[in-house]
Amino acid sequence: MDDLFQKWKDKVPNYSKKFKDLFNSISAKGGAEGDKKISLGKHFSTNYELYIYAFFIGLYNNEHSPIPNEEKKINFSHHIRFWGNKSNRFDREDFSQIQEYIFTALIAKTDIDLIELDKGTISENEAVKELLLTLEAYTNGGLTLIKEKLEDNSNFFLQPTAFIDFMISEFSKK
Amino acid sequence: MIIKKIEINNFLCYYGTDNIFEFADGLNIILGENGEGKTKFFEAIVWLFEGGSNFKSKVSAKALKEAERGSEFEVSVVMEVEQYDVIKTVKRSFVVEKEDDADDFLPSSPQIIGIIESKNGEREKVDGEKLLDTIFPPEIRKYSLFKGESELNIFDNRDALNHLVNSFSSAKHYEKYVSIGSYLKKKSEAAVDKEIKNNSNKKNEIELLKVGIKSLEKEVKNYKEQIEINEAQKIKTEKEIKDAEKFVENADTLKIINDRIDKINHDITREEGRIKENYTTFLFDESWILSNYESIHQEFSDKINKLQKDRRRLQKNFDIEEGKRRGKEELTEEFLNGSLPLPIGVPSKIHMEEMIKEKICKVCNRPAKEGSSAYKFMEKRLKEYLAKQKPKVEKKQIDRILFENNYTQKLLNLSTSHENSLSSLRNIEAEIKDRFQFNTERKEKIKLLKEELENEIEDREKVIGKSSVGEKKLISIVKNYTGWQRDITRINKKISELEQEKKSADQKLREKIDQKEAIDMESASSFLTATRKILRDVEIIFRETQEAKYDEFIQKLEEKSNSIFQEINIDDFTGTIKLQKKILMGQPQLNIELHERDGIYYNPNQSLVTSMHMAILFAISELASELKNESYPMLFDAPTSSFGETKTKEFLNLIYETKKQRIILFKNYVGKDKNGNQTVKNEFKNVKRHKAFWIKRHRPFDKVDLSTINTNVISNI
Repeated sequence: MDDLFQKWKDKVPNYSKKFKDLFNSISAKGGAEGDKKISLGKHFSTNYELYIYAFFIGLYNNEHSPIPNEEKKINFSHHIRFWGNKSNRFDREDFSQIQEYIFTALIAKTDIDLIELDKGTISENEAVKELLLTLEAYTNGGLTLIKEKLEDNSNFFLQPTAFIDFMISEFSKK
Repeated sequence: MIIKKIEINNFLCYYGTDNIFEFADGLNIILGENGEGKTKFFEAIVWLFEGGSNFKSKVSAKALKEAERGSEFEVSVVMEVEQYDVIKTVKRSFVVEKEDDADDFLPSSPQIIGIIESKNGEREKVDGEKLLDTIFPPEIRKYSLFKGESELNIFDNRDALNHLVNSFSSAKHYEKYVSIGSYLKKKSEAAVDKEIKNNSNKKNEIELLKVGIKSLEKEVKNYKEQIEINEAQKIKTEKEIKDAEKFVENADTLKIINDRIDKINHDITREEGRIKENYTTFLFDESWILSNYESIHQEFSDKINKLQKDRRRLQKNFDIEEGKRRGKEELTEEFLNGSLPLPIGVPSKIHMEEMIKEKICKVCNRPAKEGSSAYKFMEKRLKEYLAKQKPKVEKKQIDRILFENNYTQKLLNLSTSHENSLSSLRNIEAEIKDRFQFNTERKEKIKLLKEELENEIEDREKVIGKSSVGEKKLISIVKNYTGWQRDITRINKKISELEQEKKSADQKLREKIDQKEAIDMESASSFLTATRKILRDVEIIFRETQEAKYDEFIQKLEEKSNSIFQEINIDDFTGTIKLQKKILMGQPQLNIELHERDGIYYNPNQSLVTSMHMAILFAISELASELKNESYPMLFDAPTSSFGETKTKEFLNLIYETKKQRIILFKNYVGKDKNGNQTVKNEFKNVKRHKAFWIKRHRPFDKVDLSTINTNVISNI
């Protein structure tokens, strides 16, 4: 397991290029240019936070939506193993245990023959690839939901409770 | 050095060549009413020191009028000093030739000459400028001549501190080391960067980090500057408030209300601080994002439990199959007629090899041809023996197993560990509710506090309304007062926000620097990184030493200033002078503040401010004397116009006691007698001095005709 989990953590998942603007507008990579985006809770302080959020939105709403082959995939060069690490982040807590919860969710949702994995007939690399595809598919689904929400109401995420509300309301709709 | 004599010839109102001031070593006072020639005296000294192109305007109108057409006369200022027992004279002059046209004249070029008179009376002509700089060095002159009270605050301009330090502190000698330190540090950093650029596969990462570091450094600097600007603004506004409070009659009530307002503001800030609304952050830091996770966990757990069962079943089946297979293999190894074979290794390896080689079975003494069953039997026995000798691991490897990995068990462990933390996931929803409720309560409390604040502010306006100034001004004070109070709250908030942001940027910067350092350490040679570390330390040592010298000087100046300040204001309230070094726009500046027990004293009267500035100037003069082993005269034109006569007397008596050469021009102590003529007041008798002069215009004169003006110098009054 260590191998599988470790190998998976060494990866950088992709997202569809069509969400690049979404990342630019609601995550504040490298600090929020002094306009207190983070403290007001209106924005994510890093790209991977938005990525995680979108994944859970997709997961809770069962929006498994793989990135179509014709769409260009991009990423933000931040390995999963660093997600949520406290390191020197000011005024924040370590939440790296989230990596484990994402991983278990992916195991639950991915159609990998774990018996064959134990037998060694499927390699860890193949399994990790499948897990990543699941991660990308739910995230893609979550990002689509967020984008739709923004299209309906471009100011929705200006409220401090917006992301919480969205997570709870979307889930309760199901 | 002391000034022995000043001669002013045909210079502005000093007509003729009899205007001679012979000074004593100590306190010299020059009295004169307004317009009698005090400022012109000061200008004459400044012209002697600095020259200037507008010399033509210095010609005495009276001298010009009285000169014969075609004749010449000299305009000059002469200073005779004594330095280390040698008499030295500096003279700046030019010659005026009156032309035929009565109103015009032709001046020669001004010149400055110096004369040194040795003890045996020999006079030697020398370069005037050089001599001037020897007897009165320019850096000293800057702190020796002051005109009016306003010029006494020498720290009003931006490079005043640098100038002062460069003149009188040893900190200046460290500047060269600081430059070298900085140069070496940059070089060593460049060397490390270059090596990484050439050798490392992380050069792109490094480049990105460098850009990030640069941009964060800029950000931090920007925050720092903004904080400084806001702090300066705060001090200014606090002063405005204190100034306005002077007009308020019921000061005690105002203080009580202001204290209440402060408390309410404090409570509001505290309540605001308790509101934590960064809900997006809580999604992660407080695991709120996992609030709906239980069903996913269940799915995972079910999957793993099923997996485990499947795996066990498969293993069981496999084990049965494997057991059968092994049983079969063992069966084939059984001996004829079911008898037990001899132990492996009997006969020995050597004997077996010998029998195979000779193709004879020496156990039953029969030939065993190659290919015969006896020959094959012997070969098999030997192989078995050799196989037995190999390490056991090899034997194991040929065992068949069903599962190479055991991810199932590991996933099961993970599932169990998550099962144990399910209770905390179930609490998340309640936590979110509690947090929302807590924040709502805080907001309601803040609303109430703000209402209370409004009431207090209204009351305050009423109190300010009862003030001692006219109605029109009052409206403006009330309006501004409330505005200033709001400004202070706003500025405080802004400063606190900026500080938070700066702290955050600092953290990010440190993080990036650490990342870069880590790459440097693994990618560059240890020699280069070690050298860089040493040179960085060297740079810090140089810089901090210079700063320490700077601070030492300022501290010394502060101590001296305070000691003189106490003497000047003996028996009076003084407070303490605080000299504070601040870096503004990258340049060190010195702020002078007067402190009382509770902090900055905002409303000192002008006389206190003047004595504070004088104290600092005298302190500088003492420091200069210590440095140069020589003391220098100081010249003040009307420095204490805000002092009353008693204070002036005390101030002059104090200066008298210092026994240093000071020349002070005053309008005090000149009054009018019963006939309306100017006279020196009797009170002047009580003023201790080493020498006094009285300058006044020769009367009568024509108010609109400059050529009738002529100042007379009366010595030894």
